[in-house]
Formats: sequence, structure tokens, C-alpha cells
Amino acid sequence: MKIIFKFIPVYFFIAFIIRGQDNLSIQFDYAQNLFDGQQYFDAITEYKRLLFFDSENKYSFRANMKIGECYKAGAKYDDAVKYFSVAELTAGSEDEIFESKLEIIRSNILRRTTGRALQLCDDLENDLRFGSKSDDINYWRGWAFIFADDWKNASKSFGKINPYHELKLLADRTDKAKVSVTFAKVISYILPGAGAIYCGNFLSGLMSLGWNALSGYWTINSFVEKRAFDGIVAGELVWLRFYRGAIQNAETIAIEKNIDITNNSLRFLQYEYKGIKP
Amino acid sequence: MNIKFQTIKLLAAFLIISVLLNDVCGQSITSENYFSSSNRLAFGSHLYKEKDYLRALGEFKEYLRSNENDTVQFRMANCYLRIGRHEEAADNFKLLFYGSSVTDESRLMFYKSLFSRNDYKSFREYTLRENYLPQSYIGEIERLKYITFFLDNSVMPKEDEMLAPFPDSVRSQISKFYLNKKFPKQKSVSAAVLLSAIIPGAGKIYTGDIGDGLTVFVATALSAYLAYSNFKNDHQFRGWLFTGLTAFFYGGNIYGSAASAQIYNARIRFNFDNEVKLFFEQRNYFLPKMDL
Amino acid sequence: MTAFKIISIILLFIVPEFCAQTDWVKWNAAPVSYQIPALERQDYTLDRSGFGMTVLSVVRNGYYFFISDLDGDNCAFSPSCSSFYLQSVKETSIFKGTLMFADRFARDINFFKGSNKYHKLPAGKYFDPAYNYTLHSEKIKL
Repeated sequence: MKIIFKFIPVYFFIAFIIRGQDNLSIQFDYAQNLFDGQQYFDAITEYKRLLFFDSENKYSFRANMKIGECYKAGAKYDDAVKYFSVAELTAGSEDEIFESKLEIIRSNILRRTTGRALQLCDDLENDLRFGSKSDDINYWRGWAFIFADDWKNASKSFGKINPYHELKLLADRTDKAKVSVTFAKVISYILPGAGAIYCGNFLSGLMSLGWNALSGYWTINSFVEKRAFDGIVAGELVWLRFYRGAIQNAETIAIEKNIDITNNSLRFLQYEYKGIKP
Repeated sequence: MNIKFQTIKLLAAFLIISVLLNDVCGQSITSENYFSSSNRLAFGSHLYKEKDYLRALGEFKEYLRSNENDTVQFRMANCYLRIGRHEEAADNFKLLFYGSSVTDESRLMFYKSLFSRNDYKSFREYTLRENYLPQSYIGEIERLKYITFFLDNSVMPKEDEMLAPFPDSVRSQISKFYLNKKFPKQKSVSAAVLLSAIIPGAGKIYTGDIGDGLTVFVATALSAYLAYSNFKNDHQFRGWLFTGLTAFFYGGNIYGSAASAQIYNARIRFNFDNEVKLFFEQRNYFLPKMDL
Repeated sequence: MTAFKIISIILLFIVPEFCAQTDWVKWNAAPVSYQIPALERQDYTLDRSGFGMTVLSVVRNGYYFFISDLDGDNCAFSPSCSSFYLQSVKETSIFKGTLMFADRFARDINFFKGSNKYHKLPAGKYFDPAYNYTLHSEKIKL
């Protein structure tokens, strides 16, 4: 009987630990169900409840990460980053620290605060604890460049993982398809409308050329006929306006074409790419 | 044999105790129900402190389903107020009007909720309901009532009456507000129109848009001169073209002067409203800080 | 390192305060688009609210296509003068709208309009909507 009495406190202790954990894990599962059902606002409430009752901070990291993910799903990236940062502070291992830092980078990518995302990638790269994670770091650096519309550097980052990486090839294709905005402008200085034609917008280019030819004729003709006032008015208000307009137009068309090309690739990444996305 | 019997006895005793522990003591362990009333209250209070009012509201609401607690009811109403749901805040404060330990505080907050709706006319009507007024905070409600006159376009009471409920330290400032509200330094739309009709652009200069005034004067004068010059040189088409342009600028100038005076006056009102709001907001509308 | 720890601890406590206001209204999952927003271009939509407005918007579209799209970005205001004219006519009448446009045109050729009179938009344009000039003071928004 003595043995039994000795066993009672041990039993209580074990029962308390097991049941205490059970309640927390049940609560975690409940919150997780809401998260899986995309009820992110309510999921945050339940994760917060879990954090409140988790006196031993066993779920601090996981719950804070999940709250961050909820905010991320609601496109509330500032809040997401804050909770991922809290998760980082409560992380219990290097893997958890790395995981939370990556989430902060991914949120920054989606928030398009590329400078911050790249800086965090550099910090991770320089951190000796994460020497073996260079592929992950380069992968997200590549994505940060993609979201900054810098496909050349994106290609370099993905190339460091694998020279034939799917995203490197996509970045190369996208970069190659783009037109040069500077070139479009420069040729429009020489021949108004040429920039628009170079970008494939023939109608706009030819109309620009037509206006310049017509207003140039009016201006020169006025001076030839010694109508200086008319010449100045036509030159200043019409010719100069369309000449400057042709350059601006070439720039706008080139930028629009590049946005189209970028968006084509981004659409592919968002809807068809099977790999991990921000 | 003896050892075997002892082992069986031991196991039997263990099983009996296990069952007992599970039923009696274990219940207290598993009953750590995070959704119990007391836990909802504890969690709600934690959220309330964190200013997570909408979530706190949910917890308090659940708690009040099975409990009565004036403080929690007050906090719930305050949650509504903080998140801008003023109607619901007023309704919930109203529940504490009678037989509650926080009657006066709730009545004061009820008026604060009504005030926050920005429907100042209706607010003033409520201040006439004597059975609603909190006896300990009559002065506060009186001040709120007079503040509302600065925030809408109602007829202002006499200056002495307006100043009386406010402390001496702010009376001179409130007196300035009173004068600005009653006699705003606005520009006359008619004067602007008349000036622009006589000298193009003069109305705009009068309303402070000097650059626009000078521009429209030059544009009207230049096009009028070009019209005259072309008629003189027998260029009929150009003459009429510039005549049309002159009329275009002249008409636009008169219309624009009226619009400019209106915008000037709207800006004066806007700046005044902001100044008044900032002044009273910085002083919390002379209300005590109320949180239970 | 100590400073970092102190900052981290402070951050840990103040984070809930920051996040609280986001959640004062219940929200749902938000669709995310990876795409870059297209450049703001002329709005060629035909206004079919009446015969006059349809004719006016056809004229405006012609102006956009043959002139405005080709002569560069010249108007310092947003909405541009042509859009302002159309909005003015829509909000008032052809006569009043023309007067509003005449006033806007004169303000546009003012070299010294960079005062505090207008809100400057991120694109560098001065925000100058037609509803502020209808002579209905209750419509003015500053």
C-alpha cells in the first residue's frame, strides 16, 4: 500500500501534464480548423486565446506564426510582420528562427518593400548559423527581385541555386522580351514617332510623325512667308508640343509594353507555377 | 503465492484509485475549459487591456449571457464606443441607467456616445431629458451641449451663457471661437462677382488668388486686344475668333470669382472647425477619463 | 546585443497595441495580385447618360485619340481639363459647365499655381475636381 501512496503524487503530476497539454493542443487544433476554413479573423481570436492560457509558452512560437499568417492572408502585412517578429523572439531553435525570418521576408516581398526584403536576405546570408540555407535565401531573394520588376537580378539569384532553375529561365525570358525605354525615347528625339513604332504601336507612331510633319510645315512656311508671329505661335504651341509629346508617348508606350510583359510572367507565377510562392 | 496475491491486490488497488482519480480529481483538471464564463471574462479583460476591443466585446457578450456584472456591461458598451459603433454603445450604456453601481458613469458615457455620432441637434434634445442626466456630471453634459454649437450651424446662444460652464483658463479662447463662429471672416461672393465684372481678375485677387487673377486679366486683355487689332486690320475671322476667346475668358473669370469666394469661405469654415475640434479634443471635451 | 534584447522585449509588449486597431472591424481574406498596376491612361468610356453627354464624350474621345495622346502630358491638374469639362457639364449644364471649363482653363495657364491652394497628388498633379466649382457650397470638399 505504501507504494500506492507514493505513486499518487506522481500520478497527479503526469495526469496534470498530459491533460494540460491536451487542452492546449485541442485549442490549437480548433484555431487551426478556423485557419484552414479561411476564417482568419476568428482564427486569430483563438490563437490569442491559446497564447493567453498557455502559461508555459509552449505554443508561443507556433501561435504567433499562425497569427502572422492570418494577417498575411488578409493582406495586412504590417501586422503580419509584427507577429512574425514576435514569433522570432519566442523561437526555440535555429530552424524556427529561420522559418520566422523567411516569413518576414515573404511578407516584405508581398508588401513590395523590396529593399527591406533584400536586406533581410543579406542578413540571413551573413549569419553563420544559416550557412547551409543559401538555396532558400537565394530563392526568396530572386522573388524579391521579381516583385521589384528586376528580372536580371532575379535570374542571377535563381541561377545560384541551379543554372537551369525554372524561375531562372522564366526571368531570362521575361528580361529578353522587354523593350528598352531609353532607346524608344532616343529614337523619338531623332524621328518623332519612331519610338512608338519600335514598341509595335504603328498607328500612334505614324500619327505622331504626321502631326510633327504638318506642324513643322506650318512653322517653316510661316517663317518663309515672313509671318514671324504665326511661325512662333505654330512652332511654340503646336510643333514643339507634338515633338515633346512624341518623346513622352514613346516612353509611356515602352513602359506599358514592359508592364504587360512583366504581368504576363507574374500571372504565370501566381496561377500556374507549382513551387513555393511568397 | 503470497507475492502473486500481493501483486493482484496492488493492481486492483491501483485500478480503483485510478478510476477514482479520473472521476473526481481528473475532472478538476479536464474542466480547464477555456470557454467557461470565468475564462471568457479573464480573456476578454486581457483583450480589453490590449485595446483589441472587437474581440473583447465578443468575450464580454458571451460572459454576460450567464452572468450579471455592471463593470463588464460598462466595458462592453465602452468597447462599442471605442470601435465607433456609437448607437450600440449608447444602447448598452442605457442598460445601466437604473439600479446599477455605475449609473452616473454610464449616463455620462451614454451622452458621450450620442455626442460622438455627430448628430448635435439630437444630442441637445437628449440633454433636455432630465431623467437621463447624471447628477454627478451635470457640468460635463452642459459643456458638451455648448461645444456642439461650435460644431454645427445652429443659432448660437448668448456669449455669457456659452462661456459660463467652462473654466476661467479657457474662457478667452472660447470667446474667440464664439466671435469667429458668429462673425466669420468670409469673403462676399457678390463683391467678388462685381469686382470681376468691372476689372477681370479683380474678384480673384479679392479672394486671395492673386496669380489666377492676374493671369485671367492678362488673358482677357490680350485676347481683347487681338480681337480689336484683327478687326482693325480687316481680319474678320480672326477678329471673331479672338472676340469669342475674350468672352470665354471674361465669362469664366466672373464665374470663377464666385467659385473662388465660395471655396475661400469653405476653407475658412474648414480651418475653424479643425481648430475647434483640436482644441476640445486635446482637453477630452472637458470630460473625466472614464474606464472601469 | 543588450540593446537589441531590450528593444525586442519592448517590441514584444507593444505589438498587440499596434495590431489592435486593425481588428476593430472584422475582415476577411484579401485577394492578392502579383501584377503591377497598369499606367493611368485616358478614360475612353462613352457616357450614355443622355444624347448630349454621349456626343460630348465622343468629341472628347476624338480629342484624346488625335491630339491628347500624342501631344504629351501638358495639364498640371487631375482630372485633366477635358475630363473636367465633361464632369462639369454632367454635374451642371452645358452653359454652366462651359463657364467652369473657362475658369479652369484660365487657372491652368497661370504659371504660379503651385501654391497651397490645391492638394498635390502622388503623381505630381494638382487635385482639382469639378464638384468644388458648381457654386453649391455644400458640395465643396477640401
